[in-house]
Amino acid sequence: MIFLIEYNRREGRIVTFRDFADSQRREAEDLRLDIELVLNHKGVDHEVVLLEAENEDALRRTHQRYFKDLRQILRSSSSVISD
Amino acid sequence: MLEDYRRSFGEAYEAVIRTIRQRGEFPTGRLAKSTRSIVEKLGRESIRLSQMQDIAGCRVVVANIMQQEQFVASLKTDFVGASVIDRRDKPSYGYRAVHIIAMISGKPVEIQVRTSLQHRWAELSEKSSDVLDPTIKYGGGPAELRRILTKSSEEVASYEVLEATHHKFETECSEVVKSKEEAVAAHEKSKKAVAKLLKRHLPDHEVRRIQGKMQGSTRELVLLEQDVAELQGNVEDLTRKMVRLWNLNADLLAKAISWLDKLKGKKQ
Repeated sequence: MIFLIEYNRREGRIVTFRDFADSQRREAEDLRLDIELVLNHKGVDHEVVLLEAENEDALRRTHQRYFKDLRQILRSSSSVISD
Repeated sequence: MLEDYRRSFGEAYEAVIRTIRQRGEFPTGRLAKSTRSIVEKLGRESIRLSQMQDIAGCRVVVANIMQQEQFVASLKTDFVGASVIDRRDKPSYGYRAVHIIAMISGKPVEIQVRTSLQHRWAELSEKSSDVLDPTIKYGGGPAELRRILTKSSEEVASYEVLEATHHKFETECSEVVKSKEEAVAAHEKSKKAVAKLLKRHLPDHEVRRIQGKMQGSTRELVLLEQDVAELQGNVEDLTRKMVRLWNLNADLLAKAISWLDKLKGKKQ
């Protein structure tokens, strides 16, 4: 699956989250570009990224920073051994 | 133009993902780096766009350092001539991982291979950079947080050294246990054979020879038992060290939470 994430780094939160089937790559890339152009036009400093993962759970495991706050990441870091 | 350039990595990226999946791993792929990240990196590292090796890439998180070694070795076989950037012994501001740069039809694709612990540390550093100070990832930011991150990275490194040694001892121990079991079985078989022989009223010198052999076999068993006990002791000792180290790291991260609370208190 393909996931489009628009992320506000400073606030550490997701602004836009969309998923696409693997066959919709072109559509996902076009949307990423559209969002980037709009943000650029408005002078908004957000990160827009396309990621591909087996499923959303896998994405959440490998890219926690988009989904968890700092405190949650700290907590999960200290409990990683029992995972 | 940038979009065309990014899209030109599509085939190379696909080839890398396919190969990794054939190895039984399911990486999370980044089809192409975001414009913001590209612009930031170009500014930070004074390189040209064509020199950037991580326009397309993917990340694989494995359970531990042994699996990381194994997986990196398999990638070196899959992508002959790939560059290997090992940041485990020489971390980049605390960041530890192995990055493989595979070249497919002249296009570089970066494969990040992290252990679960390395990954958690990296997420912590990245998130801190996002919400507290973007320079944290590059050695800047509040001194207290930097100290905690650096120390935590060192502790993860020490933990992984212990983990690898622990694995080595465990493997050795299971091999010695197997040898011991085989020796015990052989010894029991010999004992039965000797008992039968002794019933045949053999000459004294022959009886002494057979009994001597049995005593030798018993001594070997005792030595093997001592080896097993020693190795098991080493494994237990290492386990205790790993737990101690892990508790230290948990304390450190708890300090980071307190530090965050204080920071929040100051801001309010």
